[in-house]
Amino acid sequence: MRNIFIFCFIFISTIQAQKPMNSAEALTLKNLVKQQAKTTKTITSQFTQYKHMDFLSNDIITKGNLYFKAPDLIKWSYTEPFTYSVIFKDDQLYINDEGKKSNIDMSASKLFKQLNSLIINSVKGDMFDAEEFNIEYYKSGENSLVYFKPKDKKSAAFITAFHLTFNAEGDVEIVKMIEPSGDYTKIIFNNKVLNNPVSDALFNH
Amino acid sequence: MRYLIISCFFLIVNCASYPKKQELILQNTTLNTITNSYFSDVNQDYVYKAAIDVYDNHFGGLLIVKKIDQGNHRVVFTSEMGKKLFDFSITKTDFKVNYILEQLDKKLLINILKRDFTALVQENSLVNKSFTIENNQVFQTSILNKKHYYYVSKQLNKIVRTGSLKEKVQFLFSDISNNIAHNISIIHSNIKLEITLKSIY
Repeated sequence: MRNIFIFCFIFISTIQAQKPMNSAEALTLKNLVKQQAKTTKTITSQFTQYKHMDFLSNDIITKGNLYFKAPDLIKWSYTEPFTYSVIFKDDQLYINDEGKKSNIDMSASKLFKQLNSLIINSVKGDMFDAEEFNIEYYKSGENSLVYFKPKDKKSAAFITAFHLTFNAEGDVEIVKMIEPSGDYTKIIFNNKVLNNPVSDALFNH
Repeated sequence: MRYLIISCFFLIVNCASYPKKQELILQNTTLNTITNSYFSDVNQDYVYKAAIDVYDNHFGGLLIVKKIDQGNHRVVFTSEMGKKLFDFSITKTDFKVNYILEQLDKKLLINILKRDFTALVQENSLVNKSFTIENNQVFQTSILNKKHYYYVSKQLNKIVRTGSLKEKVQFLFSDISNNIAHNISIIHSNIKLEITLKSIY
């Protein structure tokens, strides 16, 4: 009896484990996601963020809403367990920390521009830039899992890999950012709505 | 001559030790060690929303404290979005920088943070002298060779670090339940630096 359980367990694990894609599958996924990203004009979504650090007993969980409007307006609005929002707009970072407003001028920061485009591309899922990343493709049940590993040493010192999980429609569902230490930040999107009207006023400071 | 005497008088008053200035009353105590139990549970992740105000600059983030084992704490500061800004390991005898963002990697700043966080998390400290004032018992101890005064009424309310006789830093603990201080302020009086911590779990 016990052996059957072990067998079942191994069997199920094997089914759910990720398998590398062949190049035709990878190309299909890439085209699907790129097409999806191209037609995405707005995104509104709830998100749950898990900050994992190996020494902690539990991940730190924060929740909120994400708003995106093409080409480059983005707002992360945390609502639990504190209120905090950050808007990326015109080379500026607008922060509202429980009512305390501030902004940081990022126009001189190349790294910020990279970070901003990376955030937008990861939200849209379109990070398929072979110049910037070493890319690996996996299948995981219905979903696809793609690893993006920054080639640039400066970027890799911050994040060694982005793991993006896509659903069958080519929509990004999970973004996991892994630090050199192995600690990571995982963001799971839910109730994601594409191309509903999003007011510009949402991105006012 | 009269002015000289007056001046000397003020000089003496100004040079008075911290307990004298605060009018603390010396008392005998049998207590050998004083305990700060606000970061003493190895099973607890201590997570605070943090605000750091330094010379009109405001930084927000999360301060995470974890007791790894006896006399060993990890103190990590991240942005709200999860980016690690610094990561320290603190024991009674050692302070290790596991990670610090390049822009913050300044000896002076690290030294301030080392003194502040060592005093914040140190669980047991040897009592050198003890005093009373109003409803508080006050215990003098030494952390990183600086005098610290622990103010205790029902629980630990305040730690004051003094340097060359004057008060330098105050650690205020409030909204305390289940051995967790839900509000903590670290206020420097010689530099414009204030760290405010609000527990989020």
